Amino acid sequence: MTFGKFKWAALAALMSATALQSIGGAAAQDQEKFKIYLSLSYSGNAWQSEAANIVKALAATPPYNETVELIEVISGTDPQAQISAYESMIDAGADGIVSFPISSTALNRTIKRGCDEGVLFFMYDATVTESCAYNVSYLTAGFGENTAQALVNELGGKGKIFLSRGVPGNSVDKRHTDGAMHIFNQYPGIEIVAEYYSYWDDRTTQQETAKALAAHPDVDGIWAQAGEYGAIQAMLDAGDRLVPMTGENSAGFRLALADPEMQAKGLRGVSAGSPPAQAGYAFKLMMEILTGQRELEPMNIEYPLPWVPADQVKICEGDVYEDGCNVFPADRVPSSFVSEVLNPELLPEVNIESALNGTPVEGATIQPLPAEVVEAANEPGINCSRCEAPEDLYKLTKVQPTVQP
Amino acid sequence: MTTASEHQMEQAFNQTGDHRRSERISRETISAIAVAILCVAMLLGARFISPSLGSWSQVETVLVLGSFLIVLSFGQGLVILTGGLDLSLPAVITLGGILATNWVGATDPGAWYLLGAVLLVCAGVGLVSAIGIVWLHIPPFIMTLAMSIIVSSALLGYTRGTPRGAAPDLALALMKSKVLGMPMPILFVIGFVILGALFQSRSVPGRYLYAIGTNIHAARIAGVPVLLVQAMPYVISAVCAGLVGIMLVGYSNGATLRMGDDYLLPSIAAVVIGGSSILGGRGNFLGTVGGALLLTTLGTIITAIGLQIGWRTIIEGAVVLIALLLLREELFQKLGQYWRSSQPASESGSITRRKGT
Repeated sequence: MTFGKFKWAALAALMSATALQSIGGAAAQDQEKFKIYLSLSYSGNAWQSEAANIVKALAATPPYNETVELIEVISGTDPQAQISAYESMIDAGADGIVSFPISSTALNRTIKRGCDEGVLFFMYDATVTESCAYNVSYLTAGFGENTAQALVNELGGKGKIFLSRGVPGNSVDKRHTDGAMHIFNQYPGIEIVAEYYSYWDDRTTQQETAKALAAHPDVDGIWAQAGEYGAIQAMLDAGDRLVPMTGENSAGFRLALADPEMQAKGLRGVSAGSPPAQAGYAFKLMMEILTGQRELEPMNIEYPLPWVPADQVKICEGDVYEDGCNVFPADRVPSSFVSEVLNPELLPEVNIESALNGTPVEGATIQPLPAEVVEAANEPGINCSRCEAPEDLYKLTKVQPTVQP
Repeated sequence: MTTASEHQMEQAFNQTGDHRRSERISRETISAIAVAILCVAMLLGARFISPSLGSWSQVETVLVLGSFLIVLSFGQGLVILTGGLDLSLPAVITLGGILATNWVGATDPGAWYLLGAVLLVCAGVGLVSAIGIVWLHIPPFIMTLAMSIIVSSALLGYTRGTPRGAAPDLALALMKSKVLGMPMPILFVIGFVILGALFQSRSVPGRYLYAIGTNIHAARIAGVPVLLVQAMPYVISAVCAGLVGIMLVGYSNGATLRMGDDYLLPSIAAVVIGGSSILGGRGNFLGTVGGALLLTTLGTIITAIGLQIGWRTIIEGAVVLIALLLLREELFQKLGQYWRSSQPASESGSITRRKGT
């Protein structure tokens, strides 16, 4: 008993000593490890866990396996919980925090405090408006307007469509939908007959689409955010007919786009949207700054928008994306698996097992990133607070209109 | 001797006219019928929103989507009948779904018997809750909430965040096949409702549940095996939730870690809208079925209305509230009183006179 107590006391003393040391700025020394926190919103959907797994795999890949101590914290969907998680990380002497921020504004004050103490903040996918944090996101790359135009092109400029949206009140959902509406509003022939929130979830999308189909069985197209595979299943449940649709990067959707049987039923479209690979890119950028390999002031960094039209879907045979393949077969990943988790150019160190289990690839070492980073456009309320959006905010980058309004 | 005295008591009751049982049954039947009428009215009224609504295909959609809630709220209804509450349903749904895809779908989709093992594991979770509640006297909502957190965390660790595998053949057959042009899930749920209603209202264990929900001390004195009967609904409820997990896997061909999240409050709401008392001891399954269908119909129509999300949820909340207010038994009593007092009543006059004296 006494011995046990002694042991704990010694351990506690040791731990606080380490914490003090790293606060004292000794972290940069060779024998010290960088203390990196991975702060997630919630775990439990494929997207969030894949993003976290990629970061874990990279942190376990040499040389980072020797130099990085990665601690994962999941704080749920409540900004308050993430604020207090950030506070503890700052107090524990974090060198850097890689995070999926729950709110674009609520965390600002805490982030500012962390920046003042020398903590690097790297946000992936979702963004914050605090200017001392780095945002790494595809959000400004125009998912909404490009997919909307692709759908309009498929439909020849007219038809009844569903909008399957994300989470109500979320800034990401709003940005996507604003971009899409910018396009749809130009085409009087496009009629939005149902608009529902699917919470970026396959099963919810399936049920909500089934409900909308009960009222509008004659729908001509579906514009969907993540969860799109559910929309396909709902259509197959309702009858033997599919329609052109756009959606994000689930394996189920990509495989369906490439399936001749599904194509024969009328499925056409494009797979684009949010890549979990952003988390790995953010982590590698942060580490390059921490290790002195790169000089970069806090800025908004744009991650390229994945864009895979039906005729470019190619099924992989190995563990990585090579020879232009971009989806894993159904016996290797579940249908909800988000395909854009690997990136041969930015993340050559990881493979499918890293995405599924967070394990490093044997023999791989961290490769340097391309020197150039793409600066993202300003978007008020998304990646900056007192700023103006460029006039061509919704300009098309991936697809051109083939039909005139 | 006993039989003689029972006989005497029965006679005595009959003489004084004990209508409590028949009255209660009729009240519950009234609310079940009222909910059903409301459902049909909404379906027919929906034609004004979109001409395709109110069609048979919409009824099919409602029945298939409602089947999950019906099965789930059967278990929840039994728990509520004893005065408890089961908050572990979302976690157990996910448990059922994930085990079905992992144990069966991923290895041998045809191994239907393994689904029994999945349900047994779910029953085990229910049993642990029951032990905590009945024998250790932990309040039901704390105990089931704790189980919910434990089970969902264990699943997160087990799957590492990415559930794999596919739907078992049996689950697909249950949710996707058709018999004589009728979707299988509808036939299944009809069978389930008949069995469930018989169990709750006509079987001995079912009547025991009413007894302990009404007055647990009286039930104990009357010889009801109180502990066992209190434990039973938690196990049944967990099995129902596991079954819903398997059904959802068949429906959407795969499991997710938040597949059960949207069902907790609707399962309680369906039971309460169906005329059951949240305090226990009163309610019947047909009412609950009506409540579940009402909620699903409402959801289908709301999705089809092109309103802002804020307005849609306000309407959804308002309809649920109105349904609850309409179905309160005070309302029936008041209506009854109003009807009686509006008779050219010499009788009510005589009562006042008697009070006066």
